[in-house]
Amino acid sequence: MYASESARAASASESRYRITVPIAPARNARVIALDARAAAVARRISDGPWANARFYTCEATRGGGPADEFLLYGLDGVPATLDDTLRGTDVVVVIGTDDSGGTRAAAIGNACSARAITTAGVVLGDGFEADDAVAALRPHARVLLLSADESDAFELLMALRV
Amino acid sequence: MLRQDINELLTQTGPGTPMGDLFRQYWIPALLAEELPENDSPPVRVKLLSERLIAFRDSEGRYGLIDEFCAHRGASLWFGRNEGSGLRCPYHGWKYDVTGQCVEVPSEADNSSFCENVKLRAYPLVKVGDILWTYMGDPAKRPDLPEFEFAHVPPEQTYTSKRWQQCNWLQAFEGGIDSSHVTFLHSGGLKSDPLFKGAKGNEYNMKDTKPFFEVADSEGGLFVGARRNAEEGTYYWRITPWVMPAFTMVPPRGDHPVHGHFWVPIDDENCWTYSFDYHPARPLTAAERQAMIDGHGVHSKNIPGTYRPVANMDNDYLIDREAQKRGETYSGVAGIAMQDASLQESMGPIVDRTKERLVPADSGIIKARQKLRKAAIALRDEGVTPPGVDTAHHRVRSAAVVLPQAESFLDSCRDAVKATPGVPHSSV
Ligand code: FES
Ligand SMILES: [Fe+2]
Repeated sequence: MYASESARAASASESRYRITVPIAPARNARVIALDARAAAVARRISDGPWANARFYTCEATRGGGPADEFLLYGLDGVPATLDDTLRGTDVVVVIGTDDSGGTRAAAIGNACSARAITTAGVVLGDGFEADDAVAALRPHARVLLLSADESDAFELLMALRV
Repeated sequence: MLRQDINELLTQTGPGTPMGDLFRQYWIPALLAEELPENDSPPVRVKLLSERLIAFRDSEGRYGLIDEFCAHRGASLWFGRNEGSGLRCPYHGWKYDVTGQCVEVPSEADNSSFCENVKLRAYPLVKVGDILWTYMGDPAKRPDLPEFEFAHVPPEQTYTSKRWQQCNWLQAFEGGIDSSHVTFLHSGGLKSDPLFKGAKGNEYNMKDTKPFFEVADSEGGLFVGARRNAEEGTYYWRITPWVMPAFTMVPPRGDHPVHGHFWVPIDDENCWTYSFDYHPARPLTAAERQAMIDGHGVHSKNIPGTYRPVANMDNDYLIDREAQKRGETYSGVAGIAMQDASLQESMGPIVDRTKERLVPADSGIIKARQKLRKAAIALRDEGVTPPGVDTAHHRVRSAAVVLPQAESFLDSCRDAVKATPGVPHSSV
């Protein structure tokens, strides 16, 4: 006995009739570590249950060049241009822990904006060590997680079904 | 998305559950003070964290929150006689004081010690501001009383209402830190609601519908900053604090009072939404208070004599498709509170979070769930006191500010997000 369609539709018993279809991994994510500590975090989370996520570091590169010539490295050490890395992706998660990645953050952010790729930044630390990286990411990243907790990167990727 | 086992962990708050134990570390709102308006006023049924309780105010003005059911044969003490410094079960006359102690068993001899050994489970009930708060955890770990600013400003500066929401607490709470829905669902209210309209900030809100977010840890929980373009070279920031487990504040608009919520589990399929409005530096005007009573702003118009909203699921929330078409409301449902509640309730009593498709803009929610889970597990496994118990964590505020683009909201708003008595809130 329900007083309205809304009351009936929202009931626990009606929840059983929600259509269940497997949900495809929504996102073809790239995870880019900006600095050495970030690279260690990326390595730790890279063997998670990911469908399409790929992980990169750029700690060994020197920033400052034009964005498309920017060199990244897969976790296996194979180099890749930023342009190649971003091809086919729709979300980029950038991890930074200090200011050494500021220039690279700006380059990645710019490249993502130019390609209309949603960008998220996870900046680990107390918020001061990575001021420049945060400032460089701010104009581009749809969301910045400023956190002391390195599992944030993992949780974000899980939640986004990458 | 969230794994099913984590969804269950976060949504179940009954006795003995990890989240239930987490909630039992804090003082939480049990009822409004207005529900027990005078000594010996009628007792009130209160269900909290899946426990059925009775609240009453005895002849001396002491508040009690005790097991709803008489220790004799289990009749509800809601039918009790509140008289002579205790609540008497009308069935066979057993009587209890505010601590749940049985003080009279009429059938026993006068000098019998029987009733000394009869004690109902009871929790402390203390008035702070307009709310009666309770603490349902281990008495030895009872923390200091809450210090949220809305409950400590002079009475003429604050107003609190509550409404019954027919869904799990978590999906109601998640609305409180979900800044990205405001430009859609509540767009009508920014233009017309007497407690919102006219602020400069509303223009930024309406002009830039794709906010950027920054989510930062705070000692007691989180700060969620939502940023929109303002004038050249500046951003308009709206900063929402969350204090664990269930206190959130909405960023203010102009000199309107600032508001927020406390989301309290009744059981796993219902919660109380407490909605408050206060001005840190001046009394509420008569017009503001009346607007709140009338259900504007974050408040709701409730069925008289109850805390159930007039617009509810039994009447399809009085949806008005014409108003929706005209653009007065975005969803057709009137009022900020019921716009939120209608959609949150429509998800079902406990939404299946394994089916969500979250996006980066949902990061505040993602992070909050993670903090709740970690805190519940740290408490369960190691007895760690969770964030938000320390009353210093309560002294936060929301803020709305315009900052140069290069500035971090955290650095620039350190003072703005601190509750400083008598100092007006930072608002645009
Ligand atoms: S757009 Fe968010 S629930 Fe549908
Ligand atoms: Fe809302």
